[in-house]
Order: sequence, then C-alpha cells, then structure tokens
Amino acid sequence: MNLAQKLVEGDVTAVITKQNVKLDALRGKHIFISGGTGFLGTWLLEIIKELNSTYDFKIRVTVFSRKAKDFARKHTQFDNLDYITYINGDIRYLSELPLDTEYIIHAASVSDRRLAASTPNAVADTIGLGTMQILRASNLLENLNKFILLSSCLIYGKQTWDLDSIDEEYTGSISCDQVGNVYAESKRFSEILAQSYLNEYKLPLVILRPFAFIGPHLSLQLPWAGTDFIRDSLLGGPIRIMGDGSTIRSFMYASDYAFWVLAALANGASRKKYNVGNPESIKLIDFAELIVSQFTPKRAILTNIGQKNQSKSKLVPNVDNAINDLRVSVTVPLTEAIERTIYWHKESLK
Amino acid sequence: MPNTASLTICDVTLRDGSHAYNHKITADQIYAYAKASEESGFDYLEVGHGNGLGASSLQVGESLLSDYEMLRYAKNVLKNTKLSVHVIPGFATLQKDIEPAIKLGVDLFRIGCHCTEADISQKHISFIRSAGKEAWGVLMMSHMASAEVLLEECKKMQSYGAQGVVLMDSAGAYTPSETSKKISVLVENLEIPVGFHAHNNLGLSIANSLSAIETGARILDGTAKGFGAGAGNAPIEIIAALVKKLNYPTNINLYKALDAAELAANLFSGSLPKSDSITIVSGISGVFSGFSKPVVRIAEKYKIDPRDILTELGLKNAVGGQEDLIVEVASVLALKSK
Amino acid sequence: MNKLPIAILGTGNIGTDLLIKILRSKYLECRLFSGRNLSSAGMVKANSLNIPISSDGIDAILNFKSDLALVFDATSAESHIHNAPLFAKKGIIAVDLTPAKIGEMCVPAVNLNDCLALKNVNMITCGGQASIPLACAITQSNPNSVQYLETVSSIASRSAGPATRINLDEYISTTELGINKFTGCAKTKAILVLNPAIPYVHMQTTVMASISNPDIERTRARVHEMVAEIKKYIPGYELVLQPTMENGRLITSVRVKGLGDYLPKYAGNLDIINCAAIAFAESIANRY
Repeated sequence: MNLAQKLVEGDVTAVITKQNVKLDALRGKHIFISGGTGFLGTWLLEIIKELNSTYDFKIRVTVFSRKAKDFARKHTQFDNLDYITYINGDIRYLSELPLDTEYIIHAASVSDRRLAASTPNAVADTIGLGTMQILRASNLLENLNKFILLSSCLIYGKQTWDLDSIDEEYTGSISCDQVGNVYAESKRFSEILAQSYLNEYKLPLVILRPFAFIGPHLSLQLPWAGTDFIRDSLLGGPIRIMGDGSTIRSFMYASDYAFWVLAALANGASRKKYNVGNPESIKLIDFAELIVSQFTPKRAILTNIGQKNQSKSKLVPNVDNAINDLRVSVTVPLTEAIERTIYWHKESLK
Repeated sequence: MPNTASLTICDVTLRDGSHAYNHKITADQIYAYAKASEESGFDYLEVGHGNGLGASSLQVGESLLSDYEMLRYAKNVLKNTKLSVHVIPGFATLQKDIEPAIKLGVDLFRIGCHCTEADISQKHISFIRSAGKEAWGVLMMSHMASAEVLLEECKKMQSYGAQGVVLMDSAGAYTPSETSKKISVLVENLEIPVGFHAHNNLGLSIANSLSAIETGARILDGTAKGFGAGAGNAPIEIIAALVKKLNYPTNINLYKALDAAELAANLFSGSLPKSDSITIVSGISGVFSGFSKPVVRIAEKYKIDPRDILTELGLKNAVGGQEDLIVEVASVLALKSK
Repeated sequence: MNKLPIAILGTGNIGTDLLIKILRSKYLECRLFSGRNLSSAGMVKANSLNIPISSDGIDAILNFKSDLALVFDATSAESHIHNAPLFAKKGIIAVDLTPAKIGEMCVPAVNLNDCLALKNVNMITCGGQASIPLACAITQSNPNSVQYLETVSSIASRSAGPATRINLDEYISTTELGINKFTGCAKTKAILVLNPAIPYVHMQTTVMASISNPDIERTRARVHEMVAEIKKYIPGYELVLQPTMENGRLITSVRVKGLGDYLPKYAGNLDIINCAAIAFAESIANRY
C-alpha cells in the first residue's frame, strides 16, 4: 500500500476513536449515497470500510454517480468489497431507489466553480431537478430512517464583517439577478424542496450546510483558496492573494467532515439543520503562511496582486448545534490538517 | 401585571361529556345544562357526540339522540352563548352532516383531525367559511407531535381560513412545561388565536390550562366538573374562578358557573369522571381518552387487565377513531395469556 | 396460451405498480404504458423494463396499431369521464381505478362473474374492496336480520395522497353506497382514519353489524371462506379478528399488507385496488 493511502487509513482510525460518537444506528443498514464518488463520498466510503472491517458494522452502501464505475476502477482500496454497489447514473434522471434503502446521503451536486461559470443551467438542473427526483423517489421507501441533504454555506449569502460566525438562523442577502449565484440559489431551492417534503410527507430529513475543507482526495484542480495555495506551493510557488489577506475563512479536515456527516446520518434529528465546518477562523494570509512553511525552500506569498478595491469577506460557521446535538468535535487541528494534506499530495504525486 | 387580553371560554360539557355518558345524554339534560351554561356567560357551548358530527356509530358508540336533535335542543335555549360542534373529517361529511348543521344555526364548527393530518380539514374549513360560518381548526392527540410539526399543521389550517386553532391534549398526557413550549411556538408564529383543551389523566388539566393562557393562549376549553372522556377535562368552574383571580377579561358570571357545575353534578351523577388506574395508564401511554370506557368493557369480556390493552394501544400509536383496535388487541392478549 | 393484450393509462404510482404486477401475470401482457410525461419516474421505469411507452395519453391507446382488449385507467375521475365513451366506442374494456364511478362496481370475490360481460367496471375504494366481501359474508349468514352495517378503515398517513385527503367525503359516500348495493342493507356507514405512526401501519379494515339473532358460527364459517377466496388475489389480506359479538354488535377485522411491487408494502390500501383490478382482468383473459 502506498504511503498516501496509509495516511488516509490512519486518519480514519484516528477520527473514529477521537470523535467517540456512537454510530450504532447504522449497523446492518443500507446507505444510498448520491454523488458518492466525490471528495465527501470517497471519505464516507473510507470510514464505512473501517467501520465494517474493524467494528463489524455490516453497512451496505450503494454509490450512485455519473462516474461510479470509473471510480470503482480507480480506487483500488475499495476492490473486492462486496458491500459496496456502484450504480452509474445521472441524478437528474433518477427514477427509483433500491427498495431496501434505509439511509440516504444526497451529495450529488456540481460544486466546481468553473462548471458553474460555463454551464450555470447544468448547475441549476443537477441541484434542483436532482434533489426533486431523489426526494420523490425516497417518498416511496418504506424503511427510510434518515435523509441527509448536503446543502451549502453559500445559502446564507454574505456574512457581515461584524459577525464572528454565522449560525443556522442567519440570513444574509443574495441577489437572484447574478448568474454567479446560481449555485447558491440552486442550493436554496433544494432546501425549500426539502422543507416541502418535510411539511407534506414528514420525510425524516436533516439538512447539512458544509463550509470549507481541506484534505486528501480533494482535487487540486478546484480553484478554491485551500486547494489553490497547496497546488501552487507544490508546484514551487508563489501563492497569490488578490487582496491583502485579511479575508477570513475556516477550514475543516476531511476526516472530520465525513465523520460529522455520518454522525448526522446516525443521530441527527429530523427537521434539524446543521452547519458543518471548523468554527476556528483564520485570515487567508495566516493560512497561506501555514502552508508555505511546510515547504523548503519556503514559498513566497504575493498579496494585493488584484485590483485595489478587493473587499475583504468572512465566512465562518457557528457549529454549536452540531457539537451539542451530535456530540461531534474538531479532532484534527488546522496545522495538522495542512501537514497531512500536503504530505498526502506529495505521496500521491510520486 | 394585569392581564388585558380577553379570553374565550368554550364549554364542551355536552360534547366531551358524551364520552363519559356512553353517548346517552338526554334531551332534558341538554335543555337544563345549556340554560345554565348560557347564564354562566361562556362564549361557546359545544354539543353532540363525543367524536362530533356524524360520529354516532358502532365504532365509537351510538348516540341516544341524533345530532340534529341534540343541536336543536341546545339551539332553542341559547341566546348569547354560541352553539359549536366538533367535526372530524373521515366521520362527518359536508353533505350528510355539515349542511344540516349550518341550516340548524350552528355558529362555530371546530374541525378536528389527528395532529399531523391538518390537510384533511381543508375542504371542510373552506366549505364552512364559504357558508359564512365560523370555523376553527383542532389538532387532536397533540402530544404525539413536536411543536414544529404542530406549528406547520396549524399554519395549514390558518391558510384554509380557520379563525382559531385549538390544541387538544386528547390523551391527558401533557405537562405544564410541554404545554407552554408548544403554545408559545404557536402564539409567536400564528395570526389566529390559539386555544388549549385539557384532559386530566395525570391530574394536570388545570395546571396545563393555566400554563397555556400564561403563555398567550386566548381560548380555553373546559367542562362542568370535568365531565368528559377518560379522567375528564379541566373543570370549567375552576377555570372560571382562576381567570377571575388572575383578572383575565371574560364574560363569565362566576357564581352562575359554579351553579352550573353543581347542576351538572346532579344531572350526570354517577358518571362524573374520576382518576383511577385506567385513566392514569391511559395518560402515560398516550392513548385517546375516549378509549377508556370501551377498554374496561372489552377487558372484562376477555378477562384481561385493561391496563395491558392500553399499554399495547399506546405502543401501536393508536389514534382517535381506531376503537376497533381495542377488540383485536384484547383478543390477541387473551390468546397470549392462555 | 396467448396473453390478453392490455394497456395502462396513467403512469403515476398506481399505474406503475399495476405494470409490475402485470409483468408477473400469466394471462396479461402490457402492450402499452401511456401517460403524458416521458421523463416521469413511472415512464422511466417502464422503459427500463422494455415496455412500449407513449406520452400521447389516451390517443396512443385509441390509435394503437394492434388489438388492445382491455385498459386500466389510472388517471383521474375527470379524465376517466372523458375517456370512458372513447374506450367503449373502440370496444376496449375499461377497468376504472379512479373514483369516476361510471361502470358497475366490481369486487372479484363477490360479483366477478356478473362483471365479465361488462365494458366498464370500477374498483370502488380501498375500504370497499376490503369490507364488502366481509359485509356480504355477514348478510349471507344472517339473512333478513342485519339492520345496520358499518366499516372502519385505518391506513398509513403516508399512503394517502393529496387526492385521497381532499376527497374523504367521496371515499365515505362511495364505500357506503358499495356496501349498500352489495348487501342490500339500507343503513350503512363508512369511516376512514389516517394514522401517521412510524413504522407505518398496515391498512386495517373492520366491519361491524347490528344483527337481530346473529348466527355467529355460521358467520364465522362464511367469513373464513370469503377470506380464503380473497387471499387468492390479494395475498396480503389476513383475518385478524374473526367475527365476534361484543356489546351487542358483531365485529370482525382484516389487515391488508401490500405486495411492495412499486408502492411500498404499507400501502395495502392502494395494493388491494390494483390486485382486484388484475383479478378482474385475468378472468377476462381466461374467457378468451
């Protein structure tokens, strides 16, 4: 086994032990994961693999994705696991779910900002229609215990500068005449669809609103701050920051993210919505510093390379609800998260 | 702090009491009590079968008098106090039951359904409002749903045109803190007035009623001497005294209300509800109060402990109207105990 | 033996569940699954099963190139009122699963043979299908002495769609009329209760009767026979309380579990109508 995969498996062992949250509700259950081949999906499978092999959970998983079979071929760590079924399909055309599905994680989405820029219609379609299809199909299941809708922190709109963090009741403003908001607006639509199913059919639904993450399996192709900085450093630097670096974000490590999702799946109360992310905020400049210090020679950081009027922004979750209800915590501190992410990428590139 | 918000008091003695009287309330009793209720200054008097219009049946018990007779006798007596009826879609239909009641002069229709099923009240509420009559929504067995669900269901009824909404603790399973939690969510988020209907299975009917009005409820149900299903309701004469002590504006004449209670004690002597092991187990099992009498009767037939039937019905999440389950459950329990 | 060529009109949950049942049938062959929306879940399902589909609704049936002997209409009462004369003109037998009530009421265990020559039959209501055979067994065993019949059905909330919910009154009057028609008992009453419990409850139907001088033994025997007859086409139909006298009334209860073909198992109330419709169609097939 290569060292990159070894690191992931170490992360999985550690997160299960350190979170110390009972997931027993999932024992022997059948979980359907839409979009199960993405960053989150991969991590969910990594954790489920460990729950089954070490803790004898006997979970069965159906992975539904446009690239399910490709994924299965490429990810040899999941070879010969007969409790995973792969289904190739487009969530927009999903007509039915396996009849014995007991838990659903609806993670299918288009989160690549580049796609949203070129094909905003496909984003609206995949998130809106896709959510509509899976909710309708879930309504025919007789043993559905929980449906997790992966929404997004972007549904909140802009976090005002005076707030340290935003909780689940926060509403910022979003304008619906900006095509750039198609992802956020589509996610908002998916949430109101979920509310309609809650209201009309009392489907057991929990909404999660993920913030920002780093970690293994997150493609460096994605143009986000975390991935950008790491990719540029791996390539020799420098890191480019448009503004002065005072923008504030928070980053959670992948294993914690996936574990929180499983904790919500097992123990989240229907109708609840939870922010998922690291409550500890960090300035982009400090985040960049943490990354470059992992490299020798240390990479350069260039600031203020954009237009002068770069406005600073802030996006930090208040996760008290998740911590109190789900008893989860942040087990991987940011510095360690960065270290491990970079190590994994270096090893994977070998 | 003086209480300025006025309260609407609904006297449901001649409706909920029907459960306690095997649905055999007579014309004379209706005449006599309706007169006393009118004099007491209660805002509404609800009359009819315990399960409302069109409910006289082998399932939940046959009434001595028809709906029409009961309502007509009451209507003849009432002047200021308005006549109200309980209506459960699934039992009562527009054509057979509601149209005649409208013609007869019923003022208020309280459309009740199991607490998660408000959408079945849409047609009935719309129909009554179109006919120019007053319609309220009633959520029964409301201990079985969370405050959030109850709010959603009440909002549906509000959208259909309900002019008030009442949470019924049909199983007498509430505690004061649960009452205030649920009522407060409703009063904060609804435009229409909110009411509470208590049962006394756990001895909390007055405590819960008080908790409801202190949290902002504007409507209270009560019955004379608590004459109602299971362990009975909140005694309306105590409600009358309590709201007077607390200075809530009402139309009640306290002495007359106390007299009405004495009259009811006379009229229905021997059938006034009391707390016993059946009603207590019914309360903690969360079983519809109207089940108590048939459960005792059927347990006797099958020679089993009625409390076992109640516990089993609670586990089955039986709702009001599922009285047929009692015989089935009893027959299965009897087989098991052999 | 050649299978009877049939079509299904209406591709919602009911139509799709019918399709799955028909695929199992030795006597019926679905030649066309027609509705309005090719991308609906039912259409996608049918297409994946290699069933010819169309979005032309009734026109696809009327213009179908080869013979169709029978159509299941799983649209709406309004549509069926429009469709019925067109089916009749074309000589296609219509099995009406909507509440349109144009054709004769059909309860296979009771009047199947009387219906075989008809061009339009309707399947009444779920409570009707469950209760009418019991009501008939009771009246047959106690001739001229049943004064009153009543039926109560409780079903899982989730199995009652918006159309059912808004039409409770229609359910009640149709069921009452059905019991009255089949038993001749003038005084009937139907009650419907929705139960939201999770896990979902199965449909339970109780029939109660007021009878002067009830012959309980004979009633029991007849009810057992009737239940055995119904089980032949509704496998999930089960007697849970045999006829019993209690407080002066006769009471008997059945539970109906769905087959879980396309609709969930707890939707026994929907399954029972589809099973009855197929029992009728298969008998037509056997006549050919």
